[in-house]
Amino acid sequence: MKERHKGIILLLPALLVMALFTVYPMVRGVTMSFTNANIMRKTNDFVGLENYARMLTDEVFWISLRQSVSLTVIVVLLQLVFGLILASAMTQKLPGMGVYKSIIMASWVIPVAATVTMFKFMAQPDIGLINILLRDLGVEGMNKYWFGEPQVAFTFIILLHLWRNVPFYGVAFLAAMQAIPKDYYEAAQLDGANAMQRFFAITLPGIRSMIVVMVTIHVLWTFNNFDFVYLSTGGGPVNRTDVLPVYVYRKSWTSYTVGYAASMGVIMLILLMIYFVVYTRLFERQETNR
Amino acid sequence: MSATSRQKLLSAVLSYLVVFISLLFFILPMLWIVYTSFRNTDAVFSGQILTEAANLTLENYNTVLSVTDFPRYFLNTVAIASVVTLLSLLCSIMAAYGLSRFEIRGKNALIMSIFSTQMFPQVLLIIPMYLVITTLRLLDTVLGVVLGQIILVLPFQIWMLTGYFNNIPREIDDSASIDGCNIGERLLYIVLPIAAPGIAVAAFFSFVVSWGDYLIVSIISQSQRTATVTLVLQRLSAALLVRWGQVAAAVVLTIVPTILLFAFVQARLVEGLTGGAVKGE
Repeated sequence: MKERHKGIILLLPALLVMALFTVYPMVRGVTMSFTNANIMRKTNDFVGLENYARMLTDEVFWISLRQSVSLTVIVVLLQLVFGLILASAMTQKLPGMGVYKSIIMASWVIPVAATVTMFKFMAQPDIGLINILLRDLGVEGMNKYWFGEPQVAFTFIILLHLWRNVPFYGVAFLAAMQAIPKDYYEAAQLDGANAMQRFFAITLPGIRSMIVVMVTIHVLWTFNNFDFVYLSTGGGPVNRTDVLPVYVYRKSWTSYTVGYAASMGVIMLILLMIYFVVYTRLFERQETNR
Repeated sequence: MSATSRQKLLSAVLSYLVVFISLLFFILPMLWIVYTSFRNTDAVFSGQILTEAANLTLENYNTVLSVTDFPRYFLNTVAIASVVTLLSLLCSIMAAYGLSRFEIRGKNALIMSIFSTQMFPQVLLIIPMYLVITTLRLLDTVLGVVLGQIILVLPFQIWMLTGYFNNIPREIDDSASIDGCNIGERLLYIVLPIAAPGIAVAAFFSFVVSWGDYLIVSIISQSQRTATVTLVLQRLSAALLVRWGQVAAAVVLTIVPTILLFAFVQARLVEGLTGGAVKGE
């Protein structure tokens, strides 16, 4: 047998699974977005661009879209900043730092459903840790179920994202920082560069490719993430935390209007593709300019 | 005190401050839920942080493990996550070895398109996936959930393992093939032992993703036969009157396996997950 054929045969099981459960559903999803498919009513007729037209006047769609984008931007930016802070602290060789490094990523490995349950419990009125602490600190009139408060629910969704992923950023940036040759720093110190200057002139450029990888992974992950919002608030109160994945899910499995849901899923895909293309182009250009 | 030693002290103090605040934020919620799981109902609902030591009990674990269906869901999850791990490893090791060692036309485009499926919105994929799985008569079966979850991990695993295999010198398996080893033997006896740390990370990744999946299970599972721990957590904490002590015990039982596995691969995790980006330039 030819070598090339052996290679293909090795790939076959993986390609078969992905063809059946990723590629075919993707194609089917796109075609479905042009139909009035409904799981309950068993309709499945071609309706052209009707679903896309319906989106234009669907207020919840626009709210979800806006909140999806702002959630992703805010979360990834904050994760980047806090991740850099964590990593910088961890580069210090101090007693206890080894233990700290080995436990800090625990929040990343536990199921999102467990994280959400923990935070829902902490946000309970009267018995939740947050409210107990606020009461003990003497803060009056703040005894609330925090995920149910229109003003703060969105902030709590952001907190959930930070809680899960910031340590991952920290540990990843740390690994990249440790790969920067030490003599760069020594030379800069001899030239009289202070800590800030060294950070921006050596550390940041040194970990650039790790930043690119982490941002790419997390923009996709955050924008597509469904369970944080769905399990904590379900999109409420009054759509204040609604994001596209959750709205698409509700439209598919609560209203059963899968054709319409698919069309919004297609919009999500298009937005991610635009992001991906623009981002990689920008990165490539920087690369060639150096 | 000289300027440099003052600077050193300052950065040590700042670092410890970061460590302290981040521990409060990242670890305290976990400690609080563990603590809650050992408190009796009166203590949990007392609205006090500290109550009498006599209020500590195993009652919540007893109830969750003997009265509720939690053990059943736990075993379902163990079964599903194990099969997902085994099947996805089998597929991804073979695929990664093929990509790393053989001439395949359009290889780079293939790797790129496998990886770009990560971009597909899962909420869109699950609609037709539900129909495919229904057609295959796999709705509400372990295999149905497994097949649905595998695609969550496969692209990433293939990408990661291809990188690992590429780092193993080709000469090693070339010399083995001269000695008369076939592909299977080369993979099993030569490449896999060397790539073991990478495979451990890949296995950990798929187990944890499957264990924590809510989206796929919520669609494909229709009954107790296939319900997993994440579904149960959602149901327990959405009840009208939530028994937080028991919920806390269920959360702890859900978390423990992932933390135990994490302890094994912890040192290698980041290197594996970020696939060589560590090297920088």
